[in-house]
Amino acid sequence: MGSSIKTTEIKKLSGKTKGYLVLVVLLILSWAVFKVITPGNFGSPSQLLQYFQAGLLAATGAVGFYFVMVMGMFDFSIGSNIILSAIVGCVMATRFGLGYPGFVLGSIICGAIVGILNGIFYVKLRIPSMIVTTGLALIYEAVSNYIAGGVVQTLPSSLRLFGSMQGSIVLAIIAFIVAYILLNYTKVGTYTYAIGSNEFVAKNMGINVSKYKVIAFIISGAFFGVEAILSISYGSSMVAVTGMSSMSRNFTPTMGCFFGMAFRKYGIPIQAIIIGEFIINIIFYGFIALGAPTAIQDVITGLVLLIIITLTTKVDKGEIVK
Amino acid sequence: MSDEIRLQVKNLCKSFGVTKAVQNVSFNINKGEVHALIGENGSGKSTLTNMLTGIHPIDSGTFILDGKEIHPKNQVEANDEGVSIIVQELGTLSGLTVAENIFLGHEDKFVKYGIKNTNAMNKEADNLLEKYGFSRIKASHMIDEYNFEDRKLVEIVKATYFSPKIVVIDETTTALSQEGREELYKHMERIRSEGNTIIFISHDLPEILDKSDTITVLRDGVYIDTVKSKDMSEDDLKKLMVGREVTGKYYRTDYDEKISNEVVLSAKNVTVPGIIENVSFDLHKGEILGFGGLSESGMHEVGKAIFGASFDREGSVTLADGTQINDIPTAIKHSIAYTSKDRDNESVVMNQSIGDNICLPSLDKLASGPLRLLSDKKLRAFAGKYAKEISVKMVNTDQFVSELSGGNKQKVVLARWIGKDSDIIVLDSPTRGIDIKVKQDIYQLMDQMRKSGKSIIMISEELMELIGMCDRIIIMRDGKLNGELMRSPDMDENSLISKMV
Repeated sequence: MGSSIKTTEIKKLSGKTKGYLVLVVLLILSWAVFKVITPGNFGSPSQLLQYFQAGLLAATGAVGFYFVMVMGMFDFSIGSNIILSAIVGCVMATRFGLGYPGFVLGSIICGAIVGILNGIFYVKLRIPSMIVTTGLALIYEAVSNYIAGGVVQTLPSSLRLFGSMQGSIVLAIIAFIVAYILLNYTKVGTYTYAIGSNEFVAKNMGINVSKYKVIAFIISGAFFGVEAILSISYGSSMVAVTGMSSMSRNFTPTMGCFFGMAFRKYGIPIQAIIIGEFIINIIFYGFIALGAPTAIQDVITGLVLLIIITLTTKVDKGEIVK
Repeated sequence: MSDEIRLQVKNLCKSFGVTKAVQNVSFNINKGEVHALIGENGSGKSTLTNMLTGIHPIDSGTFILDGKEIHPKNQVEANDEGVSIIVQELGTLSGLTVAENIFLGHEDKFVKYGIKNTNAMNKEADNLLEKYGFSRIKASHMIDEYNFEDRKLVEIVKATYFSPKIVVIDETTTALSQEGREELYKHMERIRSEGNTIIFISHDLPEILDKSDTITVLRDGVYIDTVKSKDMSEDDLKKLMVGREVTGKYYRTDYDEKISNEVVLSAKNVTVPGIIENVSFDLHKGEILGFGGLSESGMHEVGKAIFGASFDREGSVTLADGTQINDIPTAIKHSIAYTSKDRDNESVVMNQSIGDNICLPSLDKLASGPLRLLSDKKLRAFAGKYAKEISVKMVNTDQFVSELSGGNKQKVVLARWIGKDSDIIVLDSPTRGIDIKVKQDIYQLMDQMRKSGKSIIMISEELMELIGMCDRIIIMRDGKLNGELMRSPDMDENSLISKMV
């Protein structure tokens, strides 16, 4: 009975407070574990800031991808979108001499166009989004390679504003605010949840389900465009890889999005994505500090993330999980 | 009630594949009346109202509302024409707030320059909830925080706040407890007195006679008659619905049969945290044991607990041979059958054929040869035999269960367990939402099973069927047993109700 009294006390806290509490505990825990094992080269305040900045990259994409995921769809073209958008933005700025406007708008618009294609192919072909986006990812990779002409695209140092701490934070914050407004203060947000909850009922309520699915992909694509800007600014160059190698970039934004899904019930999905990406990067950098072999890093990262999601996603007893 | 016509239904037709669900139906509905629509399962009531509210497209024919032809393509367009519906099952969406549910599809009045004014929306929803007397439901809360009953109340608000000319109430009352029903009746009366119209679908004939002014009867998709409630009796209605006198036995008529001393199943201190507490009882051979109570009394969980389907169950369920039932496979292996109250989600596999559904638990028995292979021929024969035995209305056993009406789905579930030849049968709300003819079939089937030595546990919110069918009735209240009544011709609903509340 003691435990039930304790749970009711916890229940008294507002949903949001509870959500933040869990996130902060996870954050401190993941930091503390690596700090204890390798105190010398991990987790100082300045290093934490570096991890946070790295986390911002994926978080900007993940907050957009959240719209797609809530509707129950998936996207395997994330990495290829980021690469294509970064290269298009870079080419706009350098080859066409359009500077910052060309770079920023080029990347975001390219991302949105990729989103439109994903959405339209998915809606029209009526095959699972996972398969559609996997097929399209190959095409996007080929297109990036063609545009880049097989050469590494380097962003000139005069255009690296978003690679600095201040620049990246400002752009990321703008992205988060836009996502927050879209989700909470527009019809798109309500319909996203309605379609995710029960597509059939949503359709009966007069919601044009196909249209809003395409819109979700466009939002998602545009935010990956923002992630592309940050990625190439941060890394200073982008290689147009082929043969599905872009898939490796899918992982971090997707994991962050899972945090959003898990903390949706507390009403803080966007916030959870941002903090979640921070946690993921703490774990990544923790392993680097440890100097563990890549294979082991991957195994442990995979397991830790599965554990975090399992602990934070409360599935009702008997609920069917697919 | 006035004689002014509100809605004209003209030559309406609708087919699903080869099934003619509605055939050339025409009748009028007046202003300011509660107009009941009755008929057996599959008679076309819901198909008709679904066309009116834009859930299904119309094949041919017209609806003329106040002199204007309407063709809504979805519920929102229907709402704009002044027609709304409260559906039988859950009609609210998880993951949205109460306010978002109420105004779903109508957000535009709160949107300015593309930005939604959530505060204004919540405030208006709170005002509405307050006006309806549901102020304990909060507009800004997630709908998931509320139970089925409260979510139905939210649906009442959603369907009626804009004073629609016609509100369709499709078998909503079967899903509600007494308090919920009273709430609904109150608002039906209000809508009627405002001069608007209610189309009321229910299988509960006394309720129909009590609450409606006019009754239209459909049978097999064909219009039969429109009559005044005050001129009708229950038997008259039954006759119109079935097309002949309802003859033969309905409930059991025997009263002096002794219950066997042989205990086939014994539950001891069964507890499911938060739902039921210390439930103990014995089930005897050849007995029909009833469980009655309010829908939240925990009685539905008793069925699950016996079948090993409850989570975190404590206490024991023991069979005569000492076997402990703690999980579903053990229960099925030892001849226990269970049909859930939630037929569509927990009993039938919707997107499979009637045959697959019937054979499902008997596959082990039907497999043959050293490789335990299944033969199509054998499965088909098995399914066909039991489907026929309880006369499922179907094209053949390859037909998908999703195409069947509620009553026929229930028959498929029963055929499954008769095929499995289970000795202990747990039936949770076996006649929920089912018309009288299929009900009669099910009651007869239960009586036969009882006579052949099977033991039945019947959990039901319908007191009359408990009184009519059971040897013993256990009443539950707040998760505990609250009294037991023996079969007797003198028992009436009041003696049960007094123990329920």
